[in-house]
Amino acid sequence: MLVPCLVVFALFIIWPLGKSVSLSLHGSDLFGRPDTYVGLQHYKDMLGSAEFRHILWVTFAFVLLTVVPGVLGALVVVLLLEQHIKGIRIFRTAFALPFAFSVASASVIFATIYNPAIGLANGLLGRFGVDRIGWLTDPSWALISVSITTVWMSVGYNVLVLSAGIGAIPTEINEAATLDGAGGFRAARYITIPLLGPQLFFLVVISTIQSLQGFGQIKILTPEGGPEQSTKTLVYSIYHTAFANNASDFGAASAQAIVLLVILLACTAIQFGVLERRVHYK
Amino acid sequence: MRPGRVVTYVVLIGAALLVIFPVYYVIAGSVMAPGQISSYPPDLFPHGIFTGNYQGATSSGTPIGQQYVNSILQTSIITLAQLITSVLAAYAFVFMKMWGRSVLFGLFLATLMVPWESIVLPNYLTITGWSIGGERLTASYAGTMIALVLPFLANAFGVFLLRQSFLQFPAELRDAATIDGCGHWRFLRRILLPLNKPALMAVGLYVFLSAWNQFFWPLLIGDSASRRTLQIGISQLNDAEAADPGLILAGVTLSILPTLAIVVFGQRFIVRGLTAGAIR
Amino acid sequence: MLMRSVLQRRTAAAGSLLAVLALVAAGCGGDSSNDDSGSGALDAPDASALDKASGVTKVTFWHGMKGANGAAVDKLVKAFNAANSPKIEVTAVYQGDYDDTITKYKTSVQQGNTPSVVQIYDIGSRFMIDSKQTVPVQKFADKDGYTLDSIEPNIANYYSIDSQLNSMPFNTSMPLLYINKEAFVKAGLDPNKPPSNLDEIMTAAKKLTIKQGGKTVQYGFNAAIYGWFMEQLIAQSGTTYCDNDNGRKDLATKVNFADEQGVKVATWYQEMVKQGLMPNTGKKTDDAQAVFKSGTSAMHLESTGSLRGYLDAAKGKFTVLTAPFPHLTASDTGGPIIGGASLWIDGPGHSDAEKRASWEFVKFASSPAQQAAWHTGTGYFPINKKALDEPEDKAWVAQYPQFTTAITQLHNTKPTNASSGCILGVMPQARKAAEDGLEKAVLGTDPTTAMKAAADSIKPQIDQYNKTVKK
Repeated sequence: MLVPCLVVFALFIIWPLGKSVSLSLHGSDLFGRPDTYVGLQHYKDMLGSAEFRHILWVTFAFVLLTVVPGVLGALVVVLLLEQHIKGIRIFRTAFALPFAFSVASASVIFATIYNPAIGLANGLLGRFGVDRIGWLTDPSWALISVSITTVWMSVGYNVLVLSAGIGAIPTEINEAATLDGAGGFRAARYITIPLLGPQLFFLVVISTIQSLQGFGQIKILTPEGGPEQSTKTLVYSIYHTAFANNASDFGAASAQAIVLLVILLACTAIQFGVLERRVHYK
Repeated sequence: MRPGRVVTYVVLIGAALLVIFPVYYVIAGSVMAPGQISSYPPDLFPHGIFTGNYQGATSSGTPIGQQYVNSILQTSIITLAQLITSVLAAYAFVFMKMWGRSVLFGLFLATLMVPWESIVLPNYLTITGWSIGGERLTASYAGTMIALVLPFLANAFGVFLLRQSFLQFPAELRDAATIDGCGHWRFLRRILLPLNKPALMAVGLYVFLSAWNQFFWPLLIGDSASRRTLQIGISQLNDAEAADPGLILAGVTLSILPTLAIVVFGQRFIVRGLTAGAIR
Repeated sequence: MLMRSVLQRRTAAAGSLLAVLALVAAGCGGDSSNDDSGSGALDAPDASALDKASGVTKVTFWHGMKGANGAAVDKLVKAFNAANSPKIEVTAVYQGDYDDTITKYKTSVQQGNTPSVVQIYDIGSRFMIDSKQTVPVQKFADKDGYTLDSIEPNIANYYSIDSQLNSMPFNTSMPLLYINKEAFVKAGLDPNKPPSNLDEIMTAAKKLTIKQGGKTVQYGFNAAIYGWFMEQLIAQSGTTYCDNDNGRKDLATKVNFADEQGVKVATWYQEMVKQGLMPNTGKKTDDAQAVFKSGTSAMHLESTGSLRGYLDAAKGKFTVLTAPFPHLTASDTGGPIIGGASLWIDGPGHSDAEKRASWEFVKFASSPAQQAAWHTGTGYFPINKKALDEPEDKAWVAQYPQFTTAITQLHNTKPTNASSGCILGVMPQARKAAEDGLEKAVLGTDPTTAMKAAADSIKPQIDQYNKTVKK
């Protein structure tokens, strides 16, 4: 019964994991195929290079810029929706809409909006008398623009999860709080939010993992890693090193891939270790 | 109305408008004539309904129609395969005695920790290196489809969720069924699966959406446009027709229609399905 | 929750098991090496191979032409198929831009399923030769006794190494200065006396930039941050882009764009943007093209291959005029490098019949009639001298003289090492490095520092390439 799963895992996860390590220890030929053994050279080059440090910084910044607004924004929306809002179903549907968009479709739409020549973003700014912003051409903005797109994409799912979580909170608790004199904010802070702990934690972990693996939106919005490489995250760098621009180097890319694995494990371990303690389970 | 409530409504409406805007724009832009959409400063509202973009999108060099079919095929195969493998594995973990069960299960969970991007390169080298009957695997349509789905036929996420769900089944009932002569398969088909529909749907929906959404792997597999998936097709359309944003937006609109319909009309269903895993 | 800590323990234990298994797999993972195809694969078969073939011989043609140019490719392929059915059938596949096409091509070599014919850009030539995957066009010509004399000498020169023509030139371009006629007239400038060097462009741009209420409504000039322009401006100043006679005497070992000329270009780009005369639309040529097509800029740098697309887009809005590509300084006399791409016929893994069929297609694409159609349909100039005599071409050019600017420019260029362009295995990466340098300068870094950093960044890749090739 277990055999099908085991076969797939062995072939496509476990064995490749080892092969990745092996690849990272080799150099490559003209076509990127592995040839001579170079030991830890790739790792040494990476850790010593300022470019790699920059990539790590971009990755870290990207995670922060997407996870925090994504989860917080959804939280605020859901808490507000709890205040007996008329037309709640319309609001719920509206906020769930981004869920229907794949990474590719969302990125293409935003690419058109951000377009430096004819994009709506600068057009709207113009109407308000604000000068153009280089959404995708200014290194200070490129990562923010990509993050905005990513946050937009995640809003739907986050709102759905938190709504379900809130729905599971018995109404008596809130009523009791109101009777005790706790107003909207107080009730939210001391009751609702802690009770949403498990869902919030879940969203933070999932969003972090997704952001660490984010690729499609970066490739479509900022091909080439963005102005001055300002959107070159680790995953994009793996793709670029291995497949893009005539510079196939499977060895170096694999070394980066192993680093990604380590970072992901570390992040998840930290999150489970530090954050989960604070989560109240029923 | 209390001032607090006014603020609440303003914030909510503002946020909702921001979120809806791209949805509005993709549809509005898809019916704007080329002169209008490429103008500067750009217009917000279409001057009329221009259908040329849709004609262009369906007849452009990028075969979205075929890619639609490819995506549906790829996604369906992956979803079905993962459902099957996950059910089997979860069943084994819950109802069958075996040596090293905890360790094996831990191993399964550990595979969830390995990001796809860390193992994509070896998988790529392996799969593109295969040949069947002297011909390269990716040389044929069927072979390309196999290459697309092969690494994703099983995933520990489904195993985990279904195991959680199966664990809820009372042991006494299982024992009673065994005594009645009910073997594994019968039990699985007649009793367990029907009772676990919500969990099955949750897994199915989740897998369906992530397979539909895949970008990195399909980008690497597929020599020609007619063998690629819709997501890759959209990004290629964006590239190939860069001179014609209206056409691109029309293509995107076509690609999101089914999922848009699901979200708008099937919201309750989705909520139940997706959050089943999150709330535990 | 008890469940979670139990899970955590299990996960930790299994995580180590996973690691052990993976390490074992690493040890077992052998390298897969592709075996070498025999040298026969790189020879040209003779015509009988195709005559003897039964059924349809299929040819796959990978290219990077989109928009109006993509449509022209489709027309060409259709014409060929009509004339050659049922013996040969060509399928054209658009693979993205030039960079994407060569990347996909590399991938196909790794996988062992290369296309029959592939369009690779000029700067990919060195790589293609070193890859040893193609049959030189010269070999086919020699086998058949087919003369290659009707190819424009400047173009043939570029694509020949050691007097052997490796690939068939297909779409040859030169960069031009594009002008919005009405904008010039409105600003009181004579559109028939366009600026001829960078300083003159800046002066004209000052008059052509229109601001309304603090916002720029029309920019005097725009150009993408495109490495190709850097290569052109340096070539026109008579200096070589890389050492060892632009890579023709021996493998080049370094690039020269951090020298005086390159810094001048970077400084100029920086000034144009700083003074608000040019918008920074980044590296994507599509975005820069959109600015000119929407009438937002009055002057623009692009390839002659974009001409047809511009004329179509500007119809009814403004008139597109063309002028020779500007010089770096007023004292420069050199000409620009020819650009564009050529067709390469693949050898290993392809049957003799297929190779012959590919040759037939390549011959067809370079014939006078087809080159005339290609010329008028895109703006690329015909590689075949006789194409200019075709009536279709003559009529079109009479109506749209803009199509002759590039040709005149070509004929006026004396072939020197500088104007032949740099032959470098990692030229595509070098171009990207130059773009990085330009972009840094545009965004505010000191141009000398920016270009030096860019030149330094490409050095390890050049060394690595040379090492790999010399093996």
